[in-house]
Amino acid sequence: MAELVGIYAASHGPLIARDWQRLPEALKKRLSAAYGELGRRVSEARADVIVGLAPDHWTNFFLDNLPSLCIGIGEEHGGPPEPFMRDFSPNPVPGDPALGHHILETALAADFEPALSYRLRLDHGLCLPLSRLALPRLPRIVPILINELEPPMLSYRRCFAWGGLLRRAIASFAEPLRVAILATGGLSHSIGEPNMGAIDEDFDRRCLGAFERGEEAPLIEILEDGAATAGNGTHEIRNWAVAHGAASGRGFELLDYLPAPEVYVGCAFAAWRLDA
Amino acid sequence: MPRMRDYWLSKLCFDLQDPARVAEYRRDRDAVLEHYPLKPEVRAAVLRDDVAALARLTNPYLLRYYFAASGMPDAEFIARLRAGALAHG
Repeated sequence: MAELVGIYAASHGPLIARDWQRLPEALKKRLSAAYGELGRRVSEARADVIVGLAPDHWTNFFLDNLPSLCIGIGEEHGGPPEPFMRDFSPNPVPGDPALGHHILETALAADFEPALSYRLRLDHGLCLPLSRLALPRLPRIVPILINELEPPMLSYRRCFAWGGLLRRAIASFAEPLRVAILATGGLSHSIGEPNMGAIDEDFDRRCLGAFERGEEAPLIEILEDGAATAGNGTHEIRNWAVAHGAASGRGFELLDYLPAPEVYVGCAFAAWRLDA
Repeated sequence: MPRMRDYWLSKLCFDLQDPARVAEYRRDRDAVLEHYPLKPEVRAAVLRDDVAALARLTNPYLLRYYFAASGMPDAEFIARLRAGALAHG
């Protein structure tokens, strides 16, 4: 049977790639250390597959057709289209159709209604953290893209439920695979809104505190309020909520948090505690 | 009624993620706009780079892509968003 070997989260932001050379040395050092520590842990977990929870930054989906949640079940996925991500490798990105299909079927059998895709393009949301983890070899990727840009969106309550579903789907997969989960996005940031560039450190710290303690009800309240006060980028914390649900709400270890106005993002890095 | 998006404005913003389309847009804005049946008032707002007016009509990420593609520096984009929010609440 497959085994869930690690659950992680890391923020992303296009400027971390596009403007890297222009960022202050201290910020670069701290971001590198945080991504590096996460990469070390992911490597140690020896995952065969990473289930990547990410937003779609208007890459695959548009107002023509906008799924709330879409599972990538293809043999491969397209690499990032952004010019500042052109060095991402491997491109195309190998997928895992068998695990992807199993998650899809398990979801539908349990009254969840995901969309499916045989070929997603993975934008900087997932690929920036993946590249910064600097893994010796990239595991196969099963992407799960969640609509976090255009309201209305999945409720946070439902995101926790999706996490539980994901845990059960991985546990019931018949092959002896080692599977990790990587959530990307958040914390506070604001894009294309009047408070663009602002970071709400108070929100971020309350949010991280609730994740650390594993409390779901206060977390839902904090997260639902977040988009109004802490920017539209906080919608991406849905990925963290799914990861949290997959870890049975056991809480996480915060590896680092740095409000980084230079890249417009409250950047956080975490690894969840797994069942003993 | 929730705030609805203007489809063709949003489509223009979406399409300007493509660097080739951006180059074309910077060369000949009118020629590119021919492909989008924008309402006259929306087209006028596009032509005068009216950040605040367009912000009310499309997704904030798409708006950001559009103005980045059209060459407006972030600082100016943000200042215009704030001025618009102050004027309209």
